[in-house]
Amino acid sequence: MAGLYAAMSYGLALIYGVLKIINLANAGFLMLGAYVTWWLFTSYHIHPLLAPLLIVPAFFLFGWALERTLVRRVLSAEPIISLLLLFGVWLVLQNLAYVIWTGDTRSIETPFVEATVNAGGLQLAVPRLYVFAMGALVLIALQLFLTRTYLGRAIRATAQDRDAARLVGVDVDRVMGIAFGIGIALAGFGGSLLSLLFSFTPDFGRALSLKSFCIVVLGGLDSIVGVAFGSLALALAEAFGVRYMPASLQNLISFVVLVVVLIALPRGIVGTVRALRRG
Amino acid sequence: MLEVTELAVAYGDVQVLWDVSLRVERGEIVALLGANGAGKTTLLRAISRTVPVRAGTIVLEGERIDRSPSAHVVELGVAHVPEGRRLWPDMSVEDNLRLGAYPRRARAGASSALDYVYAMFPRVADRRRQIAGTLSGGEQQMVAIGRGLMSKPSILMLDEPSLGLAPIVVAEMFETVRRINAEGTTVLLVEQNVRQALEIATRGYVVETGRVVSSGTREELLGSDEIRKAYLGL
Ligand SMILES: Nc1ncnc2c1ncn2[C@@H]1O[C@H](COP(=O)(O)OP(=O)(O)OP(=O)(O)O)[C@@H](O)[C@H]1O
Ligand SMILES: [Mg+2]
Repeated sequence: MAGLYAAMSYGLALIYGVLKIINLANAGFLMLGAYVTWWLFTSYHIHPLLAPLLIVPAFFLFGWALERTLVRRVLSAEPIISLLLLFGVWLVLQNLAYVIWTGDTRSIETPFVEATVNAGGLQLAVPRLYVFAMGALVLIALQLFLTRTYLGRAIRATAQDRDAARLVGVDVDRVMGIAFGIGIALAGFGGSLLSLLFSFTPDFGRALSLKSFCIVVLGGLDSIVGVAFGSLALALAEAFGVRYMPASLQNLISFVVLVVVLIALPRGIVGTVRALRRG
Repeated sequence: MLEVTELAVAYGDVQVLWDVSLRVERGEIVALLGANGAGKTTLLRAISRTVPVRAGTIVLEGERIDRSPSAHVVELGVAHVPEGRRLWPDMSVEDNLRLGAYPRRARAGASSALDYVYAMFPRVADRRRQIAGTLSGGEQQMVAIGRGLMSKPSILMLDEPSLGLAPIVVAEMFETVRRINAEGTTVLLVEQNVRQALEIATRGYVVETGRVVSSGTREELLGSDEIRKAYLGL
């Protein structure tokens, strides 16, 4: 599960880091990513594993355009305004999904989704392994992009000190559009992966979004490495948690973790480590 | 190469610069002096286009830049090393420096610029993998200046590089600025260390509550009674 949690949470962390707003529409884009994967499969026979090739660029452009047209206007306003705007975007996406795809539960059924492999006597579901691998792969790709390219470094610089970024010639407005686009693309990608594991309705993503918030709070809201740690921590907490409590309470775990972390380590794991290192 | 004429700047309704004119020729070190809150930082920010200009003009190498975006001004060769250093604290020293070469014209020469900066600041070279926030104040200031040099600027604007440093490090800092200038970079230097700034400067301007109140060559300023009284404590 850790790979999946990571894939659906980086976008949130990236958008918060660069734009300092919380993307409440994240769940909407997760849901949309799942639906688009299903729709491409049922209507055009595009294999669900190929769907991200279309979803990622399309969602990037959509996110970029959304930042240019709407989000940009509320960046300097009070935080509540951007929360309301993005909450509104979520509601619109949700209702659009009801109109287009109705409220029926959908799921993707292919031989791939049903497949299992036998590893040393253990039956492992292939899609789960695949989702974990893709999550890890995207984490690594994103980390390389952020540390090795000028644009990636400019994104990190903008997150850490916007004015200093301007002074070395970074076009901060452009970077914010790109970061928002990448954040939305990651949500779409995460949703596409999710559709391989779960059935979904237009409400899909709400509980998962709570987990995303938990992960970014665990990791520190603006750290990609932190997201990886946070995802792992939550996945482990849940894996242990279900042994001692009914599965129906599983979603409670992320909520409890969220509250505990907010009280004990308000800067997240990585933030706390950094503060200690800086002395 | 840089000419500011009758500049006015305001933060919202609060005007902080009135009718400021200033000129920097190629190869000079020009000192910008004045007490706290006089508007020195604001003047540099107007030139680097990180604060809006209300009136007046700024011309760099014949091109008007008072309405240009900051990225364009950096591309043209202005490097602004801000007050308080403003490094990216969670990035390595080397990543901080590499980002200094962000302008397109500087990217191809980034590796040689990095060698130049490390040669100028051997202490920074020793700490290149360290997280910038863990460095001492003096070292951070060197990284901040190094980051400015990475874009191979034609004019380097330094905002109080000696602020908060131990006296011995301050002397080193001024020596560094002199050397950077001797190696071909024009410098606009904001300082409250008036005596040391004038030691290395060719000319200076004194700003008080948002206006230029006097200006002249180094000798003229050092010889002026007002300056000796107000800033040199003589
Ligand atoms: N962002 C801002 N918003 C509103 N007023 C500001 C802002 N920045 C500076 N000021 C005001 O503008 C005036 C000039 O400030 P500025 O920082 O340019 O002075 P300075 O000469 O650099 O001072 P110091 O020596 O303390 O750095 C001050 O009165 C200050 O309070
Ligand atoms: Mg200042």
